[in-house]
Amino acid sequence: MLPREAWLDLARKLEWTFRYVPESELFPSDPSGTTRVPPGEWRRWEEPFKTSYREYVAAQHEKERAVRAVREAVGRPEHQRRIPRPWLNANKFHGAALPLAEFAAAIGNLRAGRFARDSAWRTMALFGAMDELRHTEIPLLLYHELVKWDPQFDWVHRFYHTNNWVAIAARHLFDELLLAANPIELAIGTNLVFETGFTNLQFVALSGLARDAGDPMFETMVKSIQTDEARHAQIGRSVLEILVESDRAYAQRLVDKWFWRTWHLFSVLTGFSMDYLTPLSARRASFKEFVEEWIVTQFLEVLEAHGLERPWYWDTFLTSLDHYHHMVYASAYTYRATVWFDLVVPGPEERAWLADKYPASWPALAPVWERVDAGWRESDPDLDFAAHGTAIVTFCDTCQLVLCEGTPARNTAQTLVRGERKYIFCSEPCRWIFEQEPERYAGHLDVVKRVLAGEAPGNLTAILTQYFGLTQETWGRDVERGRYDWLDRPAKPRPPQRSAAEAPDERQP
Amino acid sequence: MSVLVPLYGFVEGDTIGLIVLAHDDDPIARVVSRLQHSARWRVAKFEDARAFHGDRPLDASQTVAEAGLSALERIDVRRAGGSPDAA
Repeated sequence: MLPREAWLDLARKLEWTFRYVPESELFPSDPSGTTRVPPGEWRRWEEPFKTSYREYVAAQHEKERAVRAVREAVGRPEHQRRIPRPWLNANKFHGAALPLAEFAAAIGNLRAGRFARDSAWRTMALFGAMDELRHTEIPLLLYHELVKWDPQFDWVHRFYHTNNWVAIAARHLFDELLLAANPIELAIGTNLVFETGFTNLQFVALSGLARDAGDPMFETMVKSIQTDEARHAQIGRSVLEILVESDRAYAQRLVDKWFWRTWHLFSVLTGFSMDYLTPLSARRASFKEFVEEWIVTQFLEVLEAHGLERPWYWDTFLTSLDHYHHMVYASAYTYRATVWFDLVVPGPEERAWLADKYPASWPALAPVWERVDAGWRESDPDLDFAAHGTAIVTFCDTCQLVLCEGTPARNTAQTLVRGERKYIFCSEPCRWIFEQEPERYAGHLDVVKRVLAGEAPGNLTAILTQYFGLTQETWGRDVERGRYDWLDRPAKPRPPQRSAAEAPDERQP
Repeated sequence: MSVLVPLYGFVEGDTIGLIVLAHDDDPIARVVSRLQHSARWRVAKFEDARAFHGDRPLDASQTVAEAGLSALERIDVRRAGGSPDAA
């Protein structure tokens, strides 16, 4: 049998000269991407970690066995009941966000498997597509068992099929990044920015928190996914290496665009989980500290190594790091019925921890939670809608998330008139992204504009049930139903007690 | 007959922008009051509230039309004294 090094290049990098069709027909600009890189330059493409199909299948088989084992051991409702309730809701959020986004990533990788400009890149993209199918199936499999116990877990499958506001935002990002992008933009946006930078927050940092929170199923799931991500993420750096040599401006623009869009997604998804839904005893660092380690330090090193600048809005990003996920969380808490998982009010010890971790922003955020406390004090436990907003909230025309950028003192939302339409953006970077490619975004309607156009109801209960796809059993509530030990409610005057002889017989109809 | 003028409203101290469904003949004072009421779960009502369109303070007695506001414009509700970074 030939040694591995004798045949591997033939398996992974099989190029030949095309004689029957011109290059422009074989790799049309729309699906393949247009850059200043001369076509022949892509032939230099190399992945640092090389694998064969046989090795791939053997490694994946072992990973699958580990996932099945942990599902058998701790994947049933009786196991999940032991998990702290706030953390269980981080599961519901992640469980919904993952599967069909991963499926879209499989499609993006399959497109790269055909239209990427080098055969080794195409081979890696095919492995990536198989990875992403696996990442679709794992959460669907693991959480399915829990649906009969808690109907909110049904959203693991249901989420992307709804018009829930979070789903609209997630689809808006993933449709562009994974279903519409050419292989070059896919490689920079997904493999480099998303997978090299941000998913470490999920798959390394959050998996550690899951272990400390007593959730080995989540820990195993994300670790199993991470080992795949680490392999196919290398596509990004290899594409970047060639792209920056001939088209540095395009590479920088793609990094700047996808860094901001990805930041907003992870800020909400991971920021909520790390700073609010993880039990205090399991928190090793704040979301900001994890971002500083994995993004501010390590990802910037990657950019600098390739001669790229940090994104032009870096100061805005640093302000956002202190504020954005806190502002979205406080807003989401007061509109918790609009999501499919439950949210928690941070208690006094958690607020002290947040004040310590976020000295620049918490003084302006603490009064918001004091108002939430006041709302619960004035109402009885279980009356979730007694401390819940009803006015229509606002959404960004780029990221489709709520207008929560800036600070409580100064929200940075800004408007734009284009043709006959008015647009609003949460931030300068979101406006910049829109103005770079308005034809991509201008026709999309955010939730507010759907309400104003009569496509969605404006009444809260109607929009929850008729448009967001929620029911009384699945819409989000306060995790503790407002029963916090630390929340002192004033004693309410009781009706005068009657003697037993005066009291009606309550057994009678 | 009055015309509906939906506005983006941002209350100082709040964490999110809100839509206020104003009418062109609503006085600005009413719009401010409604925004503060909608934001009450996160921000306590402040008595010295003042509406701004950009940097331009709006007269509370003027109507939405008189103030020159059209649909989907941004207004801010701030304390009259204003916090240092609210402008």
